[in-house]
Order: sequence, then structure tokens, then C-alpha cells
Amino acid sequence: MDEALLIKGIQQGDHDSFRILVGKYQQMVVNTCFGIVHSRADAEDLAQEVFLEIFTSGENFRGDAKLSTWLYRIAVNRSLNLVRNRKRKGFFQSLEDAFTGGKNRNREITGHTGDQPDERLSGQQRADILHHAVDRLPEMQRIAFTLNKYEELSYKQIAEVMKISLSSVETLIHRAKMNLQKQLYICYKKKCI
Amino acid sequence: MSHKSIHKDLIFYLDNELPAQRKAVVEKHLEECADCRIFLAFLKEKMDLLEEEKDPDVSPFFYTRLSARLGEKPEYARQRRWVNVLEPAFFSLLLVVAIYAGLRLGSQASAPSPQPQEMVSLQLLNDFEAEPIESFLLE
Repeated sequence: MDEALLIKGIQQGDHDSFRILVGKYQQMVVNTCFGIVHSRADAEDLAQEVFLEIFTSGENFRGDAKLSTWLYRIAVNRSLNLVRNRKRKGFFQSLEDAFTGGKNRNREITGHTGDQPDERLSGQQRADILHHAVDRLPEMQRIAFTLNKYEELSYKQIAEVMKISLSSVETLIHRAKMNLQKQLYICYKKKCI
Repeated sequence: MSHKSIHKDLIFYLDNELPAQRKAVVEKHLEECADCRIFLAFLKEKMDLLEEEKDPDVSPFFYTRLSARLGEKPEYARQRRWVNVLEPAFFSLLLVVAIYAGLRLGSQASAPSPQPQEMVSLQLLNDFEAEPIESFLLE
């Protein structure tokens, strides 16, 4: 189905058009969210929120950008909101730990890892190192890097999604890679894994 | 070419983004420097993880769950709309009350204290107690 027809159908509340849209873009949206939040379950929840927003506020789509660009923007914004909320919760958690001596937190961690096989745990730890390094990137660098690496978007597409110039995208990705290498080098020197 | 400057270029070398001349310099250095080779392997392993975890499998029930949530959406949206209106209103009200309470406290603190008057009446009472009843009646 033509993209314009698809959008028109969604704006009129047509469920068939919506189903086609979800089928076409679900992998793309989940992948984008996953690149930022690093959890499959959270990425799927976020992707659902993205599609719900598309369905309920389809009339806001002015058609001056591609549908995929609009989806990328919503997916990135929602993912960043989740990351910010997590950080805020983390801050309050650390306060709680300071008062309770971290008893609740320890119970949580042991509960999560107790039944995992060693091999999977090691793989998860390796991934955690990478995610931690990516998470430490400044927000704009992280968005540009994630869209480039996970979604393999061209610099031009990233510029459209982020509403910035092409040269800014080049600078952001260059700096993101340098910062990422710096983070990983620190980890390598500390022999974290 | 210094060891440090080569180090900085390794991630770009991995992504094949270096100019041919610079790439040749890095490759030559890698042949001689064991530390850079080990770090390059470490870096490659981590960057390969990005490729591995790309495109996670989406649950086959994705649309089923989504259409179920779509049914709930109007109610949820209505609730959110109320929350969006009531939340700022509540906090604004709270702020106004806090400012009013602050002003009231401030004005009370700056008003003249009734303490001296109380002390005078207390003193009179004490004097009355201290004076013997006989002399009071004689007067």
C-alpha cells in the first residue's frame, strides 16, 4: 500500500491500515528503541507506545517528512524519556541504598542472576560493558551513533531525523566513536572482562 | 607516528574509515606493537556485539498486544488528559499556599511581640502575692 494512503487510512482510524503499518515498521522501531534502552522487553513496550501515538495522533503528521523519519523521531524521544526516568529512579535508589545500607538492592541483584548459566552471564557482562560505554556518550552523540550503527542510517537520514545539518552529524558520530573508544580503553586497562 | 595517535585511530581503522595512507601507517604499527594488536582485538569483539544484537526478534504477539492496548487507549488517553491538567494545577495551588504561608509567618515574625505586656501583668500579680494581706487592708 502507498505510504500516503496508509497515513490517510490511519488518520481516519482505519485498523487495517494500522495493522499494515505495524507489520512494515515494527522491526525498525523495536531495533531503534533497543539501541538506546538495551532491553528487548522495554524496546517492545516502547515500540507499542510509538504505534499507539501514531494511531491516536495521526492527524499531527503534516507529511513534510517521510513516515519512517517521523517514527524514528518518536521512537528516539520515547526511548530517551525512559532512560531519563531510569536515571532519576537510579538517583532515588541510591538515596534509598544510602539509608537502608543497600539491603533491598542486593536482594534484587542476586534474584536476577542466581539462575543464569555462567556462559550466558559472561555474554551478558560483555554486552553490559558495551552498553555502559554507549550510555556514557552525550545524548546527541548517542542518538547519532545508535541510528548509524543499529539502523544503518546514512548521515543524511540521521540529519533529517535529528533536524540538524549533515556536518553536525559527521562531527557527532566522529566524537561518539572517539569517546566510545576512550571508554572501552579505560575498561581494557582495568581488565574489566 | 606516535603510539598514542595510532591508538586514537583504531576504531576508525575497524570501521574502514581511514584514508589509504593513514591505514597503511596503522597497519605497519600494528605489526610491531603487541599492545595495540590486543586492544584492537578487544575493540573488535565489543563492536561486533553491536552487530550481533542488532534486529532483536520481535514477539509474534506484538500486534495482538498492541490491538488490545488500542482498545484501552481512549480511557487511558482520557485519564492522561486529566492528569495533565490536574497535576500542574495541584502544584500551582501548592506553591500559592506555600507562598501565602510564608508571607503570614513573615508578617507574624515582624509584628511586635505581646510578651512585654504579659510580663507586666505577671509582675503585678506577683507583687500582689508578695504583699501581705494585712498591710493591703490597712492601706
